[in-house]
Amino acid sequence: MQHGLKSPVFWALTLIILINMWVIVFYAPVEKTMGIVQKVFYFHVASAWVGLLALAVVCGASIHYLWKRTDQASNLALASAEIGTVFISCTLLTGPLWAYPIWNTWWTWDPRLTTTLVLWFMYVAYIALHGGDVTDTRKRLAAVYGIICFMNVPLVFFSTRWWRSIHPVVISTEGIGLTPKMRTAMFLSVAVFSLLYIHLLRIRMGSISLKHRVKRLKAQLFA
Amino acid sequence: MPSFWRKAWLIYRKDLTDEFRTTDHLLSTVVFGIMLVFVTSFALQLVDVSTNDVFPAVLWVSIFFMAVLALQRSFAKEVDSGALDALLLAAGDRSILFYAKFLFSLTVLLLLEAVVVPLLWVFISVAWRKADVLFLLAAIFFGSWGLAAVGTLLNAITVQLAGARLLFPILAFPLLIPVLIGAILCTQGALAGDRQSVLGWLYLLMIFDLLFTVIPLLLFDYILEG
Repeated sequence: MQHGLKSPVFWALTLIILINMWVIVFYAPVEKTMGIVQKVFYFHVASAWVGLLALAVVCGASIHYLWKRTDQASNLALASAEIGTVFISCTLLTGPLWAYPIWNTWWTWDPRLTTTLVLWFMYVAYIALHGGDVTDTRKRLAAVYGIICFMNVPLVFFSTRWWRSIHPVVISTEGIGLTPKMRTAMFLSVAVFSLLYIHLLRIRMGSISLKHRVKRLKAQLFA
Repeated sequence: MPSFWRKAWLIYRKDLTDEFRTTDHLLSTVVFGIMLVFVTSFALQLVDVSTNDVFPAVLWVSIFFMAVLALQRSFAKEVDSGALDALLLAAGDRSILFYAKFLFSLTVLLLLEAVVVPLLWVFISVAWRKADVLFLLAAIFFGSWGLAAVGTLLNAITVQLAGARLLFPILAFPLLIPVLIGAILCTQGALAGDRQSVLGWLYLLMIFDLLFTVIPLLLFDYILEG
C-alpha cells in the first residue's frame, strides 16, 4: 500500500473531508438558539461514534487473537485502540467547547460524559498494557483486558445513566431531533470520520508490523 | 481426585495460613489503611465540612486505595516464591485457582475493612442514630466482592509482565467505576436509614459481582496459559 502524497486513497479522503467541511459550514443551517456553536456537534458526534466503533474493533480483534493467535489480529487491536484514543480525546475536547456557552460549565458528571471519560481511561490502560515490548504474553493478556473493557462499557453507561442525565438526547427511539439538512450533515460526518478511521487504521497497522519486523531483524542480527 | 470446590478450598486455606504466618504484608496494608483514614479525616477537619455528607465518598476512596495494596497479593506471592507453575499443576483446572484466590482476596479485604471502617466512623464522627447498619454491612460486603473479583483477575494479568505492577490500579479503576457509584450511593442510603431508595444500587452491585465472578470461567484459561 502506498502512503502519503503518492496514495490515491489519501487524495480521495482529503477531497471527501473538504466536502464534509463545506457541508458542515455552509449546507447545514445555523441552529436557532445555540447559534454557530452547534456546528461542533458534527465533529463531536462523529468522533464519539468512531471512539465506540474502535473499542468494538478492539474487542472483536482480541477475540480473534485468542482464537487464532495471528499477529495481524493483535496489531489490529492495538492500532484500533490507539486511534480510538485520539478520537475519544476529540470528543472530550469538543464537548466542553459546546458545553461552556450552552450549559455554562466546562464539565458535568453526566452519564455520557462520565462514560466517555471512563472509555478514555480504559483505552489508555489498554495501550499501557499492550504497548512496550512485543511478547506473546503481553498480546494475550492485552486481548483478555480488551474483551473485559468492552463488556464493561454497558455497565458503566447504565450505572451512570441511572444516576443522572442532562446530556441532550438527539437520537432516541422516537426519531432524530434534527432538521433534514442537519441530519444529512451529521450522517455524512459520521461516514467520513469512519473512513478516516479505517484509513488511519491501515497505516498504523502497517507501521506496527514494520516495527515488529525491525525488532525481529535486529534480534537475528545480534543473536 | 478432590472436587472443584474442595481444591479451591484447600488452596484458600493454604493462602490464609501462609498470610498469617508472615504477617508483614497484612500488617503494612492495615497500617497504610489507618494512615489513609487518618490523613483524609484530618484534612477534612481543617476545612470543616459536614461529616455525614462526605463519609461515603471518603470511605470508598480509602477502601479503593487500600484494595490496590491488598489485592496485588494473591498471585504476586506465588510468582515471587516461584510457586505459580506448581500450583497450576496441582489445581488442574485453572479457574479453581481464580476462585481460591478470589476468596482469599475477599477475606483479606474484609479483615482490613473490619479495622479501617470503624476507625473512619469514629474519626469522621458520623451521626449514626438513623443509620441502617445491616444495610451498610451489605454494601461493604458486595462492594468488596466486586473489588476482590476484578482485583484477582487483574493481578493474574499484571504479575506476568515485568514492571507491570504499577499498571494494576490503572487497569482496575476504569473497570470498577460501577462499584464505586453503587457502593457510595448504598452507603449514603444506609447512613440516612433509607434502604428502599437505594436498594436498586445494591442490585447493581450484585449484578456486577456476579458478572465478574462468572467471566473468569471463560477467560481465566487464557490469562494463565503458557
